[in-house]
Amino acid sequence: MLDFFSIFSKGGIVLWCFQGTSQIFTSSVNALIKAVILQERTGQLSYDHDNVTLKYKLDNEFELVYVVAYQKILKLSYVDKFLNDIHMEFRDAYKNELQLQQFGKNFEISEMFTSILKSAEEWGKLQAAAPKVMKSFEESQKSKKTVASMIERKGDDKENKKVKKVEIKVPDVKIPEPINVELSEEDLIQQKRREFAEKMAAGKNKSKPTTEKLKSPKAASKKSKESRVWPLGGAPKDMETLDYTKDKDLGESPLPQQAVYLPDPKAIGTLQGEVRDMDFESESEEEEEDVEERGKNDYVPQQVSQQKKKTGIFSLFKNLVGSKTISEEDMAPVLDKMRDHLIAKNVASEIAGKLCDSVAAKLNGKVLGTFESLANTVKASLTESLVQILSPRRRVDILRDVYESQKQKRPYVMSFCGVNGVGKSTNLAKICFWLIENNFRVLIAACDTFRAGAVEQLRTHMRHLNSIHPPEKHGGLQMVQLYEKGYGKDAAGIALEAINHAQEAGIDVVMIDTAGRMQDNEPLMRALAKLIKVNEPDLVLFVGEALVGNEAVDQLVKFNQALADYSASENPHTIDGIVLTKFDTIDDKVGAAISMTYITGQPIVFIGTGQTYADLKTLNVKAVVSILMK
Amino acid sequence: MSKKDETFRGVLDAEEKHAHWGTIGVALIVGLITLFIFLFVWRKGRVSRRGICLVGLCESGKTLIFSQLIYKKAVESFTSMKENVGVLDIANKGALKLIDIPGHERVRQRFFDSYKNTARGIVFVLDSFSLNKDIRDVAEYLYTILSDPVVSSNRPQVLILCNKQDHPLAKGPQVIQSVLEKEMNVLRNTQTNQLEAVAEGGNRKSFYLGQEGKNFEFADIRSLRVEFAASSAQTEDLENLKKWLQSVA
Repeated sequence: MLDFFSIFSKGGIVLWCFQGTSQIFTSSVNALIKAVILQERTGQLSYDHDNVTLKYKLDNEFELVYVVAYQKILKLSYVDKFLNDIHMEFRDAYKNELQLQQFGKNFEISEMFTSILKSAEEWGKLQAAAPKVMKSFEESQKSKKTVASMIERKGDDKENKKVKKVEIKVPDVKIPEPINVELSEEDLIQQKRREFAEKMAAGKNKSKPTTEKLKSPKAASKKSKESRVWPLGGAPKDMETLDYTKDKDLGESPLPQQAVYLPDPKAIGTLQGEVRDMDFESESEEEEEDVEERGKNDYVPQQVSQQKKKTGIFSLFKNLVGSKTISEEDMAPVLDKMRDHLIAKNVASEIAGKLCDSVAAKLNGKVLGTFESLANTVKASLTESLVQILSPRRRVDILRDVYESQKQKRPYVMSFCGVNGVGKSTNLAKICFWLIENNFRVLIAACDTFRAGAVEQLRTHMRHLNSIHPPEKHGGLQMVQLYEKGYGKDAAGIALEAINHAQEAGIDVVMIDTAGRMQDNEPLMRALAKLIKVNEPDLVLFVGEALVGNEAVDQLVKFNQALADYSASENPHTIDGIVLTKFDTIDDKVGAAISMTYITGQPIVFIGTGQTYADLKTLNVKAVVSILMK
Repeated sequence: MSKKDETFRGVLDAEEKHAHWGTIGVALIVGLITLFIFLFVWRKGRVSRRGICLVGLCESGKTLIFSQLIYKKAVESFTSMKENVGVLDIANKGALKLIDIPGHERVRQRFFDSYKNTARGIVFVLDSFSLNKDIRDVAEYLYTILSDPVVSSNRPQVLILCNKQDHPLAKGPQVIQSVLEKEMNVLRNTQTNQLEAVAEGGNRKSFYLGQEGKNFEFADIRSLRVEFAASSAQTEDLENLKKWLQSVA
C-alpha cells in the first residue's frame, strides 16, 4: 500500500512519479532531502515526516534517487526488496538514456511498476507466512560472550558491563573463521585482565596505612565499587537547594567590601590535613582498561592485512585499467582508515562512524574512471561531506540582525549557555567588544547567580570596555552597562528585568550570561529552559570548548532535549548557534567543530582563540576541513 | 706552421660563429614557439568561457527554468542536490553551457566555486512574491556573488530574473531593484565589518561594492553590468531571459 513512489535525478528533475492518494508529497520529499541527504545522514535509510514514512535508495552510478512513501502506522516489510528490484529493472531498461543524462525523456514505466510492486507484496506475504527460522549459534548473543564473563560473582557489576560487542555480519562470502579467532583473543584478554587484577590486589596490601585511616569514614568495601555521589548533583532531592525562584534573601551586594557569600557550615573542618589522593581502586580500573584496549588494537590490524595480501596482486592491475564499480567490501578498509584518522583528530567516534557510513552509501555502486584510485575518490567524497556539514544552513550575520532590531526599536537578546568552565563569560566579553566597535550599545545581564565572583568578573569587563570606548567618543552614551542583582536570585527574573530596562533606555543588545551546568542535572536544565522560554531571546548560543571529545555529543543532545522538553510549547526554541572556544589550545585536532555542527545542524557563529578582547574569529570552512584531512 | 695555425684558427672562429648563430637561432625559435603556445592557451581560456550559471535561493524556480530551456518542457522537481548541466544552442552564435546550481545554503558555495571560472553570464533567479520575507537571505547571497573576487575579475554579465510574475501579488522588477538596493546598502557595512576568519592570511574575501559615501546603486558597480528582467517559468514566459541570452552569447 504505497502512497507515493518517485524516481528523480540528483539534480531534482522528476523522471517518473506515482501517487496513490491525493496528498501532496513534495514537501515531505523536500524535507527528506534537506534533513537526511544534505545533512550527511545518508546512513539512515528511512525518515519520518508528518505521519508518513519515507524510504529511499541512492543510485550513484546514474545519479538517481528512488523514494517510497507510505503511512507511518503500516510496517511494510517488502519495501526494501521493492526498491532494489525496481532499481535493477529501471536501470536495465533505460541504461542508454541515463548514461547520456537525457532526463527530459518521457519514461513510461507504469506496467513495470505495478508488476514489481505485486511481486514484492507477494514476497512480503510469503515471508510473513513462513515459520520463523531459529538463529544459529553464531548469530546469537551468547557466542559473542566468553564463559568467564557470564559467571556471576557478587559485587562484580562493573565486569559484566564490559562485554565487548563484536560486529559479525551474517556471512555471505566471509568464512566463519574470523569469529573463532576473535573469541580466543577475548579469552586471552580476559586472562590477562584477571592476572593483572590479582597483581594489583597483592600490591594493595602493601599500601600506606594513612590512606586506610582516611578512607575509613567512607566505609568503602574493596570488591564492590560505590557510585560516586556528587553534592548538588541534580537528583530530585536537590531541587530545593537549587531552586532560586523564591528569593532566598542573602543580602545586598553593591558594596564590594562586604562579604556576600555565606559558606556552608557543614563543609568546615572536613578538609583538614593532607589533601586526599583519589581512590586507589579507580586507578587500577583505568589501567585494566588500557591493557584491554591495547590488546584489542594489536589484534585487529593483523587480520585486515592478511585479507589484503590475498587480493593485492591482481587488484593493482584492476585499479589501473578500465572502469570499476565501487562495492562495500572495497571501501571497507579505506573507510576504516578514514574513520580512525577522524577519531585521531578529535571527532566524536559515533559521528565519525556515521560520516563514514554516509560516504559509503553515497559511493556504493559508483563507477570509477580509468585513473581514479579508490582512496582518492573516498577522500574527496569525505572532504565534500565535511565541507557540507560545516557550511551554515542559514544566513549568519549578527550585525545585520542587530541593525534590524534597532530599526524596530527593541533590543536584540543573546543568551549563552553551556557546561562549567568552557569560557562563557570570557567570550561574552569578547563579543561585547566586537559589538561596541560597531557602535552598538550593550547591556550585560548577570544571570549567573551561583558562581562566586561571576558578577564581579562581568563588572571588571564592563569597566575595561568602557575605558577602551569612553562615552566621550560615542556622544556621551555609556557603551556597556551591567545589570545585576547579586547572588542567589532567580536568573529568569533578572533577565526579564534586564530586557525591560534595555527597552526603556534604548540599548541595542542584551547579553545574558548564565551559570555553567552539567547536562544531566535536571533541576538546572529546567531552570535554563524556563529562562529561555520566559525571555524568548533572539539567539541562544551554546558555548563549547574545542578540547571536548566524545562528551560533545552527550552535552549537545541533552541540552537540546532539555530545551525542547521543558518548554511546554509547540515550537520550542532550541540552540541556534555554537561558540567554539579555546581554539588556540588545539593544534590541528579540530574535530570538535564537526561533532557539534553534525549533532545540532546549527552553524558555528564565533570561534574564541585566546583570552584578550581581540581573540574572536569566525569559521573558515575550507581551512578547517583541510587541517582535518591532512 | 704559423700560417696553418692562423688559417686553422680562422676556420675554428668561423665555425664558432656559425655555431653561435645556430644556437641563437634555435633559442629564438623555441622562444617564439612557447610564446605562441602561451598566447593560444590564454586566448582559448578567454574565449572558452561559455557558461551561464543559474543561481538563486531554494524554491526560486531554477530547475524549472533549466528544464524549459534545455528539454523544452516543464517537469516537476524537488530540491536539487547536484548541479544540472545542459547545452543551449543560440542561433548564429554557437552553444552556451547552462548550469543550474542548487540553491541549498550548504552546497551552493561549493558548486558555484567549481563553475564560476567558466561563467560568461550569471542569472540570479528570485521569487518576486516572497521577496519581503526573504529579502535578507536574497541580498546576502547576491552580495556574496557580486563581491566574489573571481567574478569581479572575469566580469560576466549579470541578470537578476524576477521569477514567479504569474502570481497576482508579485512585485515588478523596478520595485525589486529599489528594495534590493536599500538592503545591499545596509549589507555592505555589516559584511565589511565581519570578524576575520580562522586560519586566513589576513585578506578579506568580500569587499566594498559600489561607491563609498553614496547610497548603493547597481549602476555604481563598475566592473559588472547588472540588469533586471521579469519572467514566469510556470506559464513559460521566458522571453526576456531568452533575449538576454542572445545578447550575452
